[in-house]
Amino acid sequence: MSRIEDEIRQVMADHDRHAPGAADLLRALERMTGPRRLGPRSFGPPRRLARWYVPLFAAAAVAAVVAGSVWAGGLLGAHWRTIATGPRHSGQASPLSCPARYAEPALWVPAPPSGVDGRSRLVPRQVPRSALLCAYTSRNAGQRPGLALSGHRVLAGGLGRLAGQLSLQPREMPGQQIICSLVYGPQTVYLVGLAYPGGGAVWVAASDPADCVGTSNGHFTSFGAIGPTVQRAFRSGRWPFRQRVSCNGPLDAGRRGQETVMVPAGSTSLVICAPAAHSVRSGYQALVAALDSLPTRLSTRGCSSSHRRSGGSARSRRSRLNYQLLFSYPIGPPVRVDIITGCYPEIDNYSLQADNASSIIPIINRLLRSG
Amino acid sequence: MDLDEALAALVVRSGDRLLRVGYQFTHDRAAAQDLVQGALLRVYGSVRRRGEAPDDWYAYLRRAVVNEYVRTRRLRSSSEVVTDTVPERPVADCPEDRIADRAQLWAALGSLSPRQRAVLVLRYYEGLADGEIAALLGCREASVRSLASRGLASMRQQAVPARISVEEDRT
Repeated sequence: MSRIEDEIRQVMADHDRHAPGAADLLRALERMTGPRRLGPRSFGPPRRLARWYVPLFAAAAVAAVVAGSVWAGGLLGAHWRTIATGPRHSGQASPLSCPARYAEPALWVPAPPSGVDGRSRLVPRQVPRSALLCAYTSRNAGQRPGLALSGHRVLAGGLGRLAGQLSLQPREMPGQQIICSLVYGPQTVYLVGLAYPGGGAVWVAASDPADCVGTSNGHFTSFGAIGPTVQRAFRSGRWPFRQRVSCNGPLDAGRRGQETVMVPAGSTSLVICAPAAHSVRSGYQALVAALDSLPTRLSTRGCSSSHRRSGGSARSRRSRLNYQLLFSYPIGPPVRVDIITGCYPEIDNYSLQADNASSIIPIINRLLRSG
Repeated sequence: MDLDEALAALVVRSGDRLLRVGYQFTHDRAAAQDLVQGALLRVYGSVRRRGEAPDDWYAYLRRAVVNEYVRTRRLRSSSEVVTDTVPERPVADCPEDRIADRAQLWAALGSLSPRQRAVLVLRYYEGLADGEIAALLGCREASVRSLASRGLASMRQQAVPARISVEEDRT
């Protein structure tokens, strides 16, 4: 091997880090708007794709991260059959209509899912034909008998993103409570009415951030906080892009699959809040593997410093370390894992808890040092 | 798992790798993304029409990326002549052959003809044998050697004009 060949290898490797990632590609595809069926002859020069819509490409990737295949760690699946493309246009008229009043209690839906599977997911892994948002404003204290409809709109775009986010909401496990700060004041409850090709329909109930409820379609209930996203969609008329994961910002964390493993497969980046943010884009799989190998139990979403270890030792008096791990995915919500040493169980992803973080902290410290 | 799931999974599993190869070809993030995007959609259409999944998805998609790259760039660069004859090695005036400026080398890579660059990327980045590259590009192995040799010669001239050494080409 000659010297110049070595140098070429080296310079090529040096420039690896400048290449775009799969997440960039998926995001680009996700941004494409406007439904039109994609036939085999519809393929064209790549640059034209900027005005295309390939919602199911995104949805496919969404599903790919979820469904469980032999590829990519076994959590993949998709529906490419409904890939669509075409110019932007305003929202398709919805065959659904908003109920005049929102019945109580919270997370009421006017009808259970019909014509689609609403038991295994909040919404199907499929881009809906239309999305109708209905808003009902009230106060969250006292009686709210039958909230009156205060507004409605049909979304003009972002239905692929909607399918990605809502189909990946985590399941609320029996007995789990949503921990939040209930704020007295005006509240808005939303219904999202999704109509699908073939006549299926799903209603999803959500509320704004000040209310302490999750989301439900009548059969599947999630603790996922989709209210803020629905609120933004209602204001803009399009399902919004996901917000960048941040240690300080609002976070719609919670992802399907985290009720079975601490960190579902397919994450593409990690932010460690310690408390300053440290971004990690690669080399953190050992951390994922270590977290996923821990013995877990259903999360109570709380911890206690008076926990006694199985060996009978006294309560931990060591100083507490507090980390928040935010795992992002190409499509769908991130996973948040909180670690508080000395407060047992020390690890919590809000679906599962694990007692002991002693095997995890050294890995986090290595990642922090290498960053 | 049906065919479409496999393709979608491949985006997640191999998208990074394909994009890195695309970036080596194009030296441009947006162009690399377009290249891979175009190749993926072509493959999607082709596989759907045939209804038959390839055994090695990555290799199949890489071939699509290479073809897309050469096809679209060839329109811009038609002056290249492929020959089986390996050119004479350049004369060296410095025995050390140290290439200090890697930016210059990267720029030199970017100035090669599409097929020369494709050969060097596939050989030195992807680690393919000349026979495999020939199969990918649809040409003879001797043509691959010729393209590689000319590409290397061009790079020596551009990247290290004053310090070219006599080296053994991989021929």
